[in-house]
Amino acid sequence: MNYRFKTGEETLTFNADPIKENQLKVFTGKKTLDVRYTVINDHHVHCVVDGVGINAFISGEKGERTILIRGVSYVVSDADLSAQTRKGARDLTKLPQVITPPMPSVVVRIMVAEGDSLQRGDGVIVLTAMKMETTLTAPFPGRVAGINVSVGEKVMPGKILVDIEKEAEDAPAK
Amino acid sequence: MFQKILIANRGEIARRIMNTCREMGVATVAVYSDVDCRAIHVLEADQAVALGDAEPAASYLNIDKIITAAKESGAEAIHPGYGFLAENADFAERCEQNGLIFIGPPSPVIRELGDKTVARQTMIKNGVPVIPGMTSPESDPETIAREADRLGYPVLIKAAAGGGGKGMRVVQTHAEIREACLSAASEAASAFGNGSIYLEKYLARPRHIEFQILADRYGNVVHLLERECSIQRRHQKIIEETPSPVMTPELRERMGKAAVAAARASGYVNAGTVEFLLDADGSFYFLEVNTRLQVEHPITEMVTGIDIVRHQLAIAAGDPLTLVQEQIQGRGHAIECRIYAEDPEQGFYPSPGKITYMKEPSGPGIRNDCGVYSGFQVPMEYDPILSKLIAHAENRDAAIQRMIAALSSYVIAGIRTAIPFLIDVLRSEAFVAGETFTDFVSSHFADWKPERKDVDIARIAYIIDDLASQRRTKNFSGAGVGVPMSPWQSLGNWRR
Repeated sequence: MNYRFKTGEETLTFNADPIKENQLKVFTGKKTLDVRYTVINDHHVHCVVDGVGINAFISGEKGERTILIRGVSYVVSDADLSAQTRKGARDLTKLPQVITPPMPSVVVRIMVAEGDSLQRGDGVIVLTAMKMETTLTAPFPGRVAGINVSVGEKVMPGKILVDIEKEAEDAPAK
Repeated sequence: MFQKILIANRGEIARRIMNTCREMGVATVAVYSDVDCRAIHVLEADQAVALGDAEPAASYLNIDKIITAAKESGAEAIHPGYGFLAENADFAERCEQNGLIFIGPPSPVIRELGDKTVARQTMIKNGVPVIPGMTSPESDPETIAREADRLGYPVLIKAAAGGGGKGMRVVQTHAEIREACLSAASEAASAFGNGSIYLEKYLARPRHIEFQILADRYGNVVHLLERECSIQRRHQKIIEETPSPVMTPELRERMGKAAVAAARASGYVNAGTVEFLLDADGSFYFLEVNTRLQVEHPITEMVTGIDIVRHQLAIAAGDPLTLVQEQIQGRGHAIECRIYAEDPEQGFYPSPGKITYMKEPSGPGIRNDCGVYSGFQVPMEYDPILSKLIAHAENRDAAIQRMIAALSSYVIAGIRTAIPFLIDVLRSEAFVAGETFTDFVSSHFADWKPERKDVDIARIAYIIDDLASQRRTKNFSGAGVGVPMSPWQSLGNWRR
């Protein structure tokens, strides 16, 4: 059977053929690998790929899982299953222009007021998470159109903390 | 010795203190906030007292609640661990007033050394060299800006009550100083309850070398050799080792004497750490005394064979020090890596969440002081340290190799950690050569990404997991009543 994996904008197809119980022949598009495996538990798979034993540890949602191998993490996205989760992610990347926390945080200080003009890189809001402060900066030149949070508020990723109206690049002369 | 003590901390350090207490037959009382009701220090204590809201000011920093918990539980002493109230002189004083023994120095000593500017004055008087800078704290950004202009940029803003990199900022130009002052003061206020800051000249490429000291109530002071803590990110140490790769017996003798002199000058009692910056020309400057058990104390324990927490309890109970300087010998080399919940590919931004699966490394010379477990939800309210991995071997090269192997087998799934980053640092030529300056991370690993050479294997693991989870679903739904199906029998036809 075929698995289609996302690698950036492209997809890559792996073909996996079960040979017998706990054994696969996998064609990666470039080479064919002989894989024997033991499922240790829901999070741990031991596989022997072309004779070399490797432990892999699995977490994450169906369709997009994080695999840990030798201390390094790999995010594997299944193009056939991850359509829904990817869509959410893509919507966010379509809007790289927003001030939103990268993780659950608390607002420490708001450095701007409604109506302020900002240059790209100007500090907008200071957040704290796990006792470290981080400043979110303006992603483009613009004007502060709205402030949606107050100091001390707990905020989650995805919440737009400050609306910034983009400075029109071809603004009509007044 | 005490019958029962309260540990006013959480996570790995609370657990580490409890381990020694258990060995000594001392009963332990844990305290915990609402989000920590399933934390490991609660599970392992003999007794646990709830403090309430997750907010540190309402829980682990709340002196009233902790004193009450100690008195009501019948604890005779309080061990503060590191962070939170560990270097809070008011807390130590309140313990003293309430007939509780604070396991640490007397409150006036903490107060004097805790104000980094007063400590600087004490050291200057006693002939211990200090870094050029301010000797009194300041809150007015304008005054700090003027002082910075006088010292010359770059300068370092530090919290007068500080430690652990909180409230610390390097400022390169006059233009940045105002915002840096505000941000440092606010971070210091939330971390220590005191927003005072001061300035020091910023040394570009120093080494951070510290000496562990132990002092009893009778004027006996020894040092337990040095630790080198130069590998830092965001001014927080992430790798520490002992001995320092640049230490010579002659320099150790001089710095050790200065450390003991600093302890005597301040009337120190209990375990503490004297920190120095060592410049390329071999001159060293007093930085500060940390009046607590340090995060990185295990490497000293590994090479000296001395349990520092055991000595802390004995000193606090009034026993004289049984160690003499000549008997303290280091054996081999120890390295510690701090494992934080953070994403090294996103500027080390904290990464809290649920640990879905965990497997700790083990083997000869491996110690993991761990404060989490599989299934634990890492809260966002506190310092993101998960565990400290320590490798001890007969020499530095062997300790590096042992640490790399241990890190590679350390599994923490569900959240991000800096494990792959630490592996690459330990493998780097600069680290192996001992070129561990405090700018190490920014000069060698600025835009670090891991080398992802096992990507095909990760995809194969995904396929195996997918097949296994289909089998589990089928079995669970009872589709194959009687005979469990193998995956290729039970697969639907939705894959081409």
